[in-house]
Amino acid sequence: MPWRRLATIAFIIGPILALLAFGFTRDARYITSPLIAKPATPFTITLFDGRKLTLEDMRGKAVFLNFWASWCPPCRAEAKDLEAAWQKLKGNNMIFLGVALQDTDQNALEFLKEFNVTYPNGKDESGNIAVDYGTWGIPESFFIDPQGRITYKHVGGIRVALVVTKLEEAAKGIVSAQEGKGDYQPIR
Amino acid sequence: MRTMLLRTLFVLYVLLALFSGPLHAAPAPDLEDRTREIASELRCVVCQNLSIADSPSEMAQQMRAVVREQLEAGKSPQEIKDFFVSKYGEWVLLKPKTSGVSLLLWVLPYLALVVGVIAALWIIRRWVSKKKSAEAAASAATSHSPVDSAWLKQDLPDPDLEDNSARAQLLRDRARLKYELSEMEFDFQSGKLSDADYNALKQEIETKGMAVHQKLDALPPEPTLKAPKRKSPDQKLPPDRTRIRRWQLVSGGVFLMLFGLALGVMLTKSVRPRESSNDTMTGDFLTGTNSPSGETRAALNEGKQAFAHQEFPKAIEAFKKVLVADPNNPEAHSYMGFILVQAGHGDGALMAFDKALAQAPNFPMALWGKGMILYREKKDFAGAREIFENLLSRVPAGEERNEIAKVLAEIPTAGAQKSQTASAAPNSAATSSSAQISGKITIEPKLKAGVDSNASLFIIARPAGAAAGPPLAVKKFDKPTFPLNYSLGQENVMMQGTPFTGKINITVRLDKDGNPTTRGPGDMTGEYKMNPVNVGTKNADIVIDQMMQ
Repeated sequence: MPWRRLATIAFIIGPILALLAFGFTRDARYITSPLIAKPATPFTITLFDGRKLTLEDMRGKAVFLNFWASWCPPCRAEAKDLEAAWQKLKGNNMIFLGVALQDTDQNALEFLKEFNVTYPNGKDESGNIAVDYGTWGIPESFFIDPQGRITYKHVGGIRVALVVTKLEEAAKGIVSAQEGKGDYQPIR
Repeated sequence: MRTMLLRTLFVLYVLLALFSGPLHAAPAPDLEDRTREIASELRCVVCQNLSIADSPSEMAQQMRAVVREQLEAGKSPQEIKDFFVSKYGEWVLLKPKTSGVSLLLWVLPYLALVVGVIAALWIIRRWVSKKKSAEAAASAATSHSPVDSAWLKQDLPDPDLEDNSARAQLLRDRARLKYELSEMEFDFQSGKLSDADYNALKQEIETKGMAVHQKLDALPPEPTLKAPKRKSPDQKLPPDRTRIRRWQLVSGGVFLMLFGLALGVMLTKSVRPRESSNDTMTGDFLTGTNSPSGETRAALNEGKQAFAHQEFPKAIEAFKKVLVADPNNPEAHSYMGFILVQAGHGDGALMAFDKALAQAPNFPMALWGKGMILYREKKDFAGAREIFENLLSRVPAGEERNEIAKVLAEIPTAGAQKSQTASAAPNSAATSSSAQISGKITIEPKLKAGVDSNASLFIIARPAGAAAGPPLAVKKFDKPTFPLNYSLGQENVMMQGTPFTGKINITVRLDKDGNPTTRGPGDMTGEYKMNPVNVGTKNADIVIDQMMQ
């Protein structure tokens, strides 16, 4: 019967259309990270004040690791929020670390001065830290628990409330399977 | 080519070795080739479908450097690829793995191809066999038992429902067989019956039909012929196959048309050309992100061009068109705001900027416009400062940012505000008296009765000789009372930076709807009788003496 034929056609075409529709809802640029709930890769970074800092130095503290660049508008948009979150959380066995990517020292320092950033910041000269953390958009933020495990990742601008919530969760070792997303732009 | 490259690399290496000391270890001669080979299998994370070997991006360079470092460290290509997979997932591999779920990506296309070929062959074979069997059935029908099939298919009157005679019984049997025959033929045509089954069933029905025929022939002739009774409305009729098939064809066609429309709409709505390197080709329909349609974009561009050429009525029309199609378009609202600023509608402009900011809270144009109104017109320095600081934090270094910083530096701080206003007042008074045109506006007695109490008065200054085009300066008075003293100066010019000097024509319009760009019946006009007037004139009195019909 033709109805059966139509049903068969719909049965074949339906899933294809659904797949097509699903494809359109996806952000082709978005790369889901396989790093959540995995140990954070150790690194050593030279801070802008000349000190060297390793991930091991921060063991035992909840870490907020933020990749940024002075040329990135969403990074500018979140800068005040990050500093406000730092002012709220510092001293609670939590640490913030900013990692400037694809930037010049001068521009990065001007950025830090402009937004009165007081938490430690350094530059990823080789880009190895960025690759180790699978970064592709900017800004990108990682939350690391005191045992050195990544508990949450946020691609794009982030607000004070979310930083506070997720870092408090990281301090307790709570992992968020779902990544966060805000305004971002691909790194260069 | 490759030899040349290797030679160049060798020379470079020798130079590097000379300048960097004897401890430098010699790289394997094929390091670059191996790096490139692995890099060509890794996807650039900031490009679209380019390998890191082919991408010129900084990120791809850094990834290539990582590949080279790991090769130098003695890692195998598989280990290096695994490293990148551990950081970015299997997405980073341009060739998916041939194991696990990724195996499906390799197998499915071939599987689909095989299934497609089999299905096509099956359909073609069925078509051919159906055609053959239809021809065979047709010839069998004509050669084998023409009388039986033809007799069964004949339309004979149905017997009366209350008629229980042997003839009536046989006629009912015949009708049943006729129905069975047509059902069977339909099933055969739709492919549900094989040739063998069809022939067997047909023969069976025809045999039964022949028996009925013979029994009917054996009966004595019918004594009286009854007129066929009208069928009762609730009596079930055998379905009309032709009509059903036609209906099915129509519904199939409608389905296909709807399917095509849906696909067309989905594709056109959800795929669009990239407008910039940061843009994506998908997004506005299924992902919920807004993207103006081609028509709206064209209207927006038209409006912007008109605005740039100071053709404000044309710009307003274009932006209105945009806002009809996309009432939340922040760019159109912002431009409308700027036009309203220039027409002296500070409050209206503020509303337009607020509308834009309601949709996009950080829209730079709207922030700039609102900040300027708060600063220049409303003297809300704290509000303006807050907006400009926000704007400054969002705009990367460049000329625009310097401009914002300059305005921000100009805005008086809360403490300095009062003293500055006090000290600035005499200054501005001193400068204004020589660079202004002032006078008195009155209304002719005969028109007084027709004045709308809600009308707005526009004093319009145009350079002498320019009858059309944008005014040089405009001043607006809401609900004016006459006589009205006015002054027009540099602060009223529409385009910032344009000097308010020279010979100027002054006209006024009492506008009923308060919209400076539209004129309508009931609006009243007047002009300075000695036009053009020099800037600095103090008694440029104007009488409103015309009523527009």
